Amino acid sequence: MTQLLIQNFLRSKGLMIGLVLLFFTGLVSLHIGKIFLEQQADIVSKTAHHQEESHQQHLEYEHGEMGLLLYYIRFGLANKTPNISGLSIGHRDIHPSVRLVNIRNLEEQKHATELRNPLYQLLGNLDFSFVLIYLFPLIVIAFCFNLLSEEKEGGTWTLLLSQSTPPVKILRTKLWIRLVSVLSVLITLLVIGKIYLSIPLNAAFLAFTLVAVFYVLFWFALAWFVVSLQKSSSQNALSLLLVWVMLTIILPASINALVINLYPIPEAYSTVIESRDGYHTKWDLPKKPTIQKFKDHYPQFAQYEHPEGQSFGWFWYYAMQQMGDDEAAESNEAMKEKLRKRDQISRTIAYFLPSVHTQFSLNALSQSDMRNYLNFLNELEAFHEEKRLYFYPKIFEGVPIEEENWAQFRLEYVEDDRKLEWFGKLLPLVLGSLLLVRLARRKMVVSETK
Amino acid sequence: MRFPILQLLSKHTFQHLLKNSGTKWLIVLFNALLFFALLAAYSSSLEHTHTLDHYSHEVREKWENNPDKHPHRMAHYGYVAFRQKYPLSFFDYGMDSYLGNAVFLEAHRQNTINFSEASLSNGLLRFGEISAALILQLLVPLLLFFWGFALIAGEREQGTLRLLLAQGTSWSELILGKTLGLFYLSLTLLLPSVLLALGLLLFHPLFAQTSDVILSFGLLAAGYLIYLFIMSLLAVWVSAICKTSKTALIQLIGCWLFFTLMLPKLAQVTGQVFYPSPSKIEFDTAVEHELIQQGDSHNPDDPHYTALKDSLLAAHQVSSTKDLPFNFSGYVMREGERLSTETFRRHKLHLMERYQQQQNLLRWTAVVNPYIAIKNLSMAMSGTDFLAYRNFQDQTEEYRYDLAQTMNELQIKHISNNASSSADKKAVISQQYWKDFADFQHQFLSFKAMAKQEALSIFSLLFWLAGLLFLANFSTKNLKAF
Repeated sequence: MTQLLIQNFLRSKGLMIGLVLLFFTGLVSLHIGKIFLEQQADIVSKTAHHQEESHQQHLEYEHGEMGLLLYYIRFGLANKTPNISGLSIGHRDIHPSVRLVNIRNLEEQKHATELRNPLYQLLGNLDFSFVLIYLFPLIVIAFCFNLLSEEKEGGTWTLLLSQSTPPVKILRTKLWIRLVSVLSVLITLLVIGKIYLSIPLNAAFLAFTLVAVFYVLFWFALAWFVVSLQKSSSQNALSLLLVWVMLTIILPASINALVINLYPIPEAYSTVIESRDGYHTKWDLPKKPTIQKFKDHYPQFAQYEHPEGQSFGWFWYYAMQQMGDDEAAESNEAMKEKLRKRDQISRTIAYFLPSVHTQFSLNALSQSDMRNYLNFLNELEAFHEEKRLYFYPKIFEGVPIEEENWAQFRLEYVEDDRKLEWFGKLLPLVLGSLLLVRLARRKMVVSETK
Repeated sequence: MRFPILQLLSKHTFQHLLKNSGTKWLIVLFNALLFFALLAAYSSSLEHTHTLDHYSHEVREKWENNPDKHPHRMAHYGYVAFRQKYPLSFFDYGMDSYLGNAVFLEAHRQNTINFSEASLSNGLLRFGEISAALILQLLVPLLLFFWGFALIAGEREQGTLRLLLAQGTSWSELILGKTLGLFYLSLTLLLPSVLLALGLLLFHPLFAQTSDVILSFGLLAAGYLIYLFIMSLLAVWVSAICKTSKTALIQLIGCWLFFTLMLPKLAQVTGQVFYPSPSKIEFDTAVEHELIQQGDSHNPDDPHYTALKDSLLAAHQVSSTKDLPFNFSGYVMREGERLSTETFRRHKLHLMERYQQQQNLLRWTAVVNPYIAIKNLSMAMSGTDFLAYRNFQDQTEEYRYDLAQTMNELQIKHISNNASSSADKKAVISQQYWKDFADFQHQFLSFKAMAKQEALSIFSLLFWLAGLLFLANFSTKNLKAF
């Protein structure tokens, strides 16, 4: 019997075309991931090169003073892009993964936007996570919507009922055949992806695979449940597609609208204005208060003074620059707090939406989510502070430029090494699937006893 | 074609569809969704306008209240410009959320426009944003397909189709009549939201100053009318050519997926592969390299600026720049600003053209994909497309240049060559000059400019309309009654 069913499945042209199309789209998505990773690597190497070249130029230029040189030269920090992010690009195409910053105020520098075609950002990337979240469910729906109804509508159901094998068992076998075929496409794609994108075989990749598998399982469970209601083919197709539209379009978009309205972020604009005024207005104010504020912030530099009577000095200059950051610090923190809140509430809601939950989980595993960006922002602030504190005394002391070992300043990298939360990522999908299978079983049992 | 028959058929179809209690519920649900989308977007657009007013006001006030000082300090103090939302943007978010909202404008450098909604959002945004446009473009067609897939194929299955045709109804009457019935049903979704949108638009605080937005709205509404008619016709046409209603449904869903999901992605992937665009670091490096070659105004030995200096000294027959009748360093900075701006703008233009190429690829698919046609048209009319953004970008850059050069002119004219530094008392001019420099006002594109850009989208919609009508009228020979 099983063999017959498999033959039957393999012979149905529509289903095979669907599988091939899915597989092919999956391959395209892997290539998109590859292009993305190459672009990222290119950006990083170009930035590293640029940094080196421009340091060289400025050193040859003989600016004379340490303070003036550091006005110009910039130091790069890269947010390491793991290869797995080629599978789920997430927000990596919105936030730049490398920043070049000088030691002047950071606020004016840290929000610079990467150049990207906004239409492409709007359309979104055809990455693997897209294929998984949008297209795999469609295949599952196409494979399962008439699992039972086609037998009824084709008149073969009564034949099945007269067989010695219980009809539910036959249906279950049909489902298993479809499940195995779809899952093998998924696994094959992931294996190809692993090799093609040189993704290391680590816990993140394993978790990624599991999330993907359970997401597909969820859709099979859902389809099985709908089948168990024993409606007509058209009704099944309609209700499954309706769930698909709800889960992948309407609900996420509504939640997004809700989150944005709930936590507007005007602080973003305040930071721009406050940092600009914090620094630029100091030129026209008495020097003493600025310097005092600087010393309050950094007591370790209390011994330095601005030379009496001089209209300009680097100590004063960098104190003014510091004010650009200091006066925007409150808004900056408030903004980051809002971003965290937006992230938190949407992730909480996502526990009830398998599509969104899967996207969030894959983005988290691929380090392309909001938390990764926030982590990078914090690292960037720390990096900038470290460079500042390293150079401040040298500038204030007037240490000659030649005494510094400039070759040591190469592009630096940060890694997002947060812990993997297996439980939170897999549990909602597993629970959802189990619940649906359970409900379907009851329906099936009821119908059999009828 | 007999109009009474069409009327009868359309009325019958409309009533038949409406009889189903599920249909009524769906209409209520979709209207609720549309109203929610419109009101939520409207309130956030008002909030945005309000926030921007507050901050623009603050920027202006701070600018004017700067004390007397050296004009170059003001050039560095600069300005912050904000992007206003077009009054109709609440109808269609378009690219809006991926576009920057605030930019710091200063002398010597062109900063990026930052703080797009996307940069402040997590992955949720990528699922799309609920707007009237999304519902009407994406979901309503799906609904029409559900309502329409059995309109003819169903009658065929039940055998009533033969009766209809035997009574003398022609195929084209049948198709058009049923299409009209389905189309009327779609109007129960379109009209209330169009009316609500019109009402909201009239009360928009920016409505008074952008009166031609009403023309945009007219074209937008017309576009959706045509689009929904096309989708109704498509549903009925497919239902006519398919043997069973099940195949009709599957084919319609296939069309929907192809139009809304596959084709746009395909065009995007192709564009990405064939028209790669530079990253920011590549762009910046290219500009920087060219600027270094042009000369460095800060370098006393730079050939370009030495030549400039020598020619000035010769022309005014003086031996030192200190004796020139105008401020020399202001003169040099004006030259530097001119050169660097020219270079930057040239590179920027290249980049924008590249983006345009990428977008055109998608734009042309409108001919085979009515979804893209309405998407582009709707985005343009709502002022949330790339053209509107480029217009804002150009305005800010124009303003920035104007600000820098005005400050340079002031320096050339009013600052003595003997001033020791910008802190010198002699190097200070009155704050009245700051007040004289006009505020930044984001001007929206005119309706004409928007409509011109969308000629292709309008053409594509009409092309689809004509094409389907042609099919429905003239290629009905192969259609079967059973």
